[in-house]
Amino acid sequence: MVKHIIPNSLKEALDYMDGHYTTIVAGGTDLMVQRRNWAELPPTFTSDPVYVFHLSELNYVNEDDKNVYIGAVTPMSVLLDHPATPQLLKDAIAIIAAPGLRNMATIAGNIGNASPAGDSLPILYALDALVRIQSKSQNSLLPIAQVIQGPRKTILDNNELITEIVIPKDPFTFQMFRKVGGRKADAISKVSFTGSVRIEGKHVTDLRIAFGAVAPTVVRVRDIEMEYEGKTVKQLQQQVKSLQEAYATYIRPIDDQRSNKEYRMNVAMNLLEQFISSLKEE
Amino acid sequence: MNDISRSIPKLDSVPKAFGNERYVNDIRYENALYAKTLRSPHAKARILRRRYPELPAGYHIIDHTHVPGENVVNIIADDQPVFAADRVTYYQEPILLVIGPDKRVVLKLMKDIHIEYDIEVPQFEWTDSVVHYHFTKGNLAKVKEQADKVIRREYHSGYQEQLYIEPQGMIGYHDGKQVILEGSLQCPYYVKNALIRTLNCADDYVRVRQATVGGAFGGKEEFPSLIACQLAVAIEVIRKPIRLIYEREEDVESTTKRHPSHITMTAYVKDNEILGIQSEVGLDGGANIGLSGVVLSRALIATTGVYTIDHLDVTGDVYRTNTVPNGAFRGFGAPQMLFAVEMFMHHVAAELKVDALAFRQRYLAKQGDHTSTGGTFRDPIIMPEMLSRVLDESDYLNKRERYASPDSHRGIGMSWVLHGCGFTGSGEATHIKARVKLHKRTTDEVEILIAAVDMGQGVKTTMTKLVATILDVPMSQVIYDNPDTNFVPDSGPTVASRTMMIVGGLVARAARRLRDEWNAGEDQWIEERYVQPDYIKWDETTFHGDAYPAYSWGINIVEVEVDPATYEVTVLETWNIYDVGKAIDEQVILGQADGGQLQGLGLGYLEVMNHKQGVIQQRNVTDYIISTSVDTPPMHNYLMDNPYPLGPYGAKGAGELTLVGGAPAVALAIEQAIGKEIHEIPVTPERIMELMNDE
Ligand SMILES: Cc1cc2nc3c(=O)[nH]c(=O)nc-3n(C[C@H](O)[C@H](O)[C@H](O)COP(=O)(O)OP(=O)(O)OC[C@H]3O[C@@H](n4cnc5c(N)ncnc54)[C@H](O)[C@@H]3O)c2cc1C
Repeated sequence: MVKHIIPNSLKEALDYMDGHYTTIVAGGTDLMVQRRNWAELPPTFTSDPVYVFHLSELNYVNEDDKNVYIGAVTPMSVLLDHPATPQLLKDAIAIIAAPGLRNMATIAGNIGNASPAGDSLPILYALDALVRIQSKSQNSLLPIAQVIQGPRKTILDNNELITEIVIPKDPFTFQMFRKVGGRKADAISKVSFTGSVRIEGKHVTDLRIAFGAVAPTVVRVRDIEMEYEGKTVKQLQQQVKSLQEAYATYIRPIDDQRSNKEYRMNVAMNLLEQFISSLKEE
Repeated sequence: MNDISRSIPKLDSVPKAFGNERYVNDIRYENALYAKTLRSPHAKARILRRRYPELPAGYHIIDHTHVPGENVVNIIADDQPVFAADRVTYYQEPILLVIGPDKRVVLKLMKDIHIEYDIEVPQFEWTDSVVHYHFTKGNLAKVKEQADKVIRREYHSGYQEQLYIEPQGMIGYHDGKQVILEGSLQCPYYVKNALIRTLNCADDYVRVRQATVGGAFGGKEEFPSLIACQLAVAIEVIRKPIRLIYEREEDVESTTKRHPSHITMTAYVKDNEILGIQSEVGLDGGANIGLSGVVLSRALIATTGVYTIDHLDVTGDVYRTNTVPNGAFRGFGAPQMLFAVEMFMHHVAAELKVDALAFRQRYLAKQGDHTSTGGTFRDPIIMPEMLSRVLDESDYLNKRERYASPDSHRGIGMSWVLHGCGFTGSGEATHIKARVKLHKRTTDEVEILIAAVDMGQGVKTTMTKLVATILDVPMSQVIYDNPDTNFVPDSGPTVASRTMMIVGGLVARAARRLRDEWNAGEDQWIEERYVQPDYIKWDETTFHGDAYPAYSWGINIVEVEVDPATYEVTVLETWNIYDVGKAIDEQVILGQADGGQLQGLGLGYLEVMNHKQGVIQQRNVTDYIISTSVDTPPMHNYLMDNPYPLGPYGAKGAGELTLVGGAPAVALAIEQAIGKEIHEIPVTPERIMELMNDE
C-alpha cells in the first residue's frame, strides 16, 4: 500500500522525500493517465505520491533584468496570460492540449515527464533555460539539456524536486515555433520546430534551433549553430541546404501510431527552410 | 397552422446540459457486482486448457459452459459466440467474465486465470470471401465491345471508429420473474431476440430497457447484443444485479467499426460518353460476418451514386480476416462507395479532358430514371435547384477556377450524394414488420409506444412534436419514455435513417386515427403496422427492383488549404444543402448536418485507424484523431423541402445523408489544392507528402 502525502510546505515535501520512495504529482495530467486504472479504482501508484500542486510558494512568475523565474507548480494557463512569460513559451503553451488541461499542467511536469514530444521542452532548450533542483540538503541550477537524459528519463534523484525554471532574457529579433500534431488542438506533436535569432545589421549574431519529437530528446546542436553564427542573413539563406544536411544526422525519428519517419524528417527540414527563408536583415 | 419545421427547444438539451440524464453508468443498484471481460491475446488460436483460480466467496467466472441456450449472438450470420469456447478468431475476443463485488479482487482473479492456447497462423489478407454478390443492369458485355476507351481506378478507405461519447455498457438484474437489462443501445428488440436465443427462454422472460444513450452512430446497433447475452447468462446463474461497462480502450479495441474497403471502378467510354461501369467492391468483414452482407449490399446499390448509368456489372465480396469484426456505422457501406464514385466521375472527366461539373450534370439522375438495380426514381429530384443555390452561396465556380493555378495551395471540392431511406430491399416488409402504438390515458395524455431510441439525434423531440401537432395538443400532453420491451411493440431498430420516415409515418397515421376517434376522458389504444407500398418490388437474389422506397439527396462543398511545409489540411469553410423531404424540426436536422459532416470529413482526411497483426494501433482519443472545435470550419447548411408523399408531413431519412458526402468533398478539395489524384482516404498529411513529392 502506498501512502498519499499532502505536504503543507516545500520543506515538508522535501523532508518526506528524503528516505521514502515517492512520486511527485504536480498537475497530474501525465501521471493520472499513465497510472490509470479500471474506472472508480484509485490510480496505480507504486511509490508514495507527494502532491505539490497546491504549494503556493512554488506558484509564481517573477522577473529581474536578466531572467524570468517560473515556480514549479505554476499552471500553464497562468503562464499563457502572464506578461513576463517569453513569447516563444506562450506560443507553445497556446497549443498544448486544451484550456481545461492547461489549468492543471505545469512546465515542471513537462520536464519531469521527459517525453520526446513534450512541447515546452524545445523552447526551454532554445532559450538556454535552467532548472532548479532541490532536495532536503541540496539546491542546484542545471541547464535543461542536462536534466533530461532520455525518453522518460531525467537526472533527478528520488529525493529531488524541481522547484523553479529560470529563463534568461536574451535579446532576439525573430522567433518561430511550429507544432505539427494530428489536429489543431489536443494533439501530441508529430514534430515541432523552434527557431530564435538575433540579427544585427546584416549579420546573424545569435542562432538557436531546436526540433521536438524527432529524436529521443530535443535536438539542439550548439556546434552547428556556432558554425553559422556571424554569417550574414544572405549567406545563411544560400547555405540552407548544408544546414539541413547538418541537422539530418541528428534527426532520428520513429514510425509509430501517429506518423512515420519520412514525414517527420521531411517536415522538420521544411520548417527549418521556412524559418531561414523568413529571416530579414534588420 | 404552424410550419412543423419551425424549431422548438430539444427536449433533452436542458437535462443533458445540467447533467441530470441517467446514462447506464449512472444507474446504481444496491449490491451490484462488477463484471470484467477476459479477452484473447491472440488473433487466432485454439483454446487447449483453462486453469481457473479458486474463487473467494461471492466471486464468479462465467463462460461458455453456463450458456443455457445457443452459444451464439443472434445477429444475421451466426458466427459470434457469446463466449469463445474452443477457439478465438480475433485479438480481444471475449472468453469469459469475472464477476464480484470488489473491482480489485476481480482484477487480481483475472491475472490468476491461465488459458493455454495453440496459436495458429492468422489471416489478414483479403482472400477468404464469405459473402459474394453480383448483379447487372443493362448489358455491359455488349457496350464493352463498343467502347473506344477504358478508364480504371482503384479506391481504398480505412477503418472508422464510431467513438460514441459513452462507451458500451449494460446493467441488469433478476426480479424473480424476468431477467431485466438496461443499456446503451439502438435496438431494444435486437437485444431481446438475442437474449431469448441465448437463454433459450420464453418471450416474456427477458425485458430490455434503453438507458439514456450517449451517442451510438451505428456502433450500438448489433454490438450491445453481445454484452447483453453475456450479462444475461451471468444474471441467470448469479441472480444478482451486475454491471458490465467498457473502458474506452477496451471498447475501441474490441467493438465493431466501419469496414475498410477496396473498390475498383472501370468505365467503358465512347466519344467521351460513359456507356457502362463495372465495379468490384471488397470489404474487410473482420473475424465474423455479422451484418457485413447487408453493409455490402448497401454499398453495391450505391454503385452509381446520384448518376444514371444504363449498363452495369457490380460484384462485391466480404472477406473474413482475423481482425476485430466490423459492423454498422452511420452510412452503412454507402460512404465507401460514394467516395469511390465521386472521385471516379472526376477522374474520368479529367482523363477525357472535359469539365467535371458539366460531365457529371449529364448523368445526374432525373425523376423516372432507373436506379442501379433497375428500380425507379419515382419522386421529384430537385438536385438542379439545390445545385444552383449552393453554387451561389459558396462561389464555387470562381474559386474552382482560381485555385486551379499551380501555386495555389487552396482547393474546393463538391460531392453529390443520395441515401436510400429505410431498410435495403424488402427488409421493412419481410424482416422488420414494424408496429407502433399510441395510448391515450383517461387523463387525455398520449403515450407514444415505439422501440425507437433517442441517442441524441432528437427523436424524442420530433416524435413528440409530430403527435402533438397532429392532435393539436400541447407537447406536455404527449409522453415518450425510453423504450422498454415490456411495454412497447417492435417498431424496428433505430437504424437506416428509417425512424422518422417509417416509424414516424406509422405514428402519424396512428395519431390521425386517434384524432378522429378521440373520446375525452376515455382510455384508448391505437395500433398501426407497416404495409409496403405495393408498387415496391424487390428481388433479393438478383438485386433487381426498388432497393429503397425513397431517397434523400445532398450536396457538400468543402474548401481547404494545404500547408506546403507540413502538408496539414485546414478545412476553411463548407456549404451543404439537403433534401430530406421535410424537416420535422429544422434545428434537429441542422444538428444532424453539423455532426454528420464532421464525421464525414473525419473519414476523408483525419481519422486514421489501422491494425498491426490484428491489433488496433489507435486505442484511445489521444491517438485516434477526430475533429475538435478548433478543427471545425464554419458550416453553412441549407435545407430544401421536397415532401415525400408517404412520409409524415413529407419527411424522408436524414441521419446518414449528412455523413456520406463529406469524404469525397474534402478529398476532391485536397486533390485540387495539391494537383494530384487521390485514391485513398483518409488523406493524411503523410499521404499528401508522398503525393506531392512523387513527381
Ligand atoms: C489530453 C492531454 C493532452 C495533452 N497535450 C499535451 C501537449 O499538447 N503537449 C505536451 O507537451 N503535453 C501534453 N500533455 C501532457 C501533459 O499535460 C504535460 O506533459 C504537462 O506538462 C504535465 O504537467 P503536470 O503538472 O500535469 O505533470 P504530472 O502529471 O503531475 O507529472 C508528470 C511527471 O513529472 C514529474 N514531476 C512533476 N512535477 C515535478 C516536480 N516539480 N519535480 C520533479 N518531478 C516532477 C512527475 O513525477 C511525473 O513523472 C497532454 C496530456 C493530456 C492528458
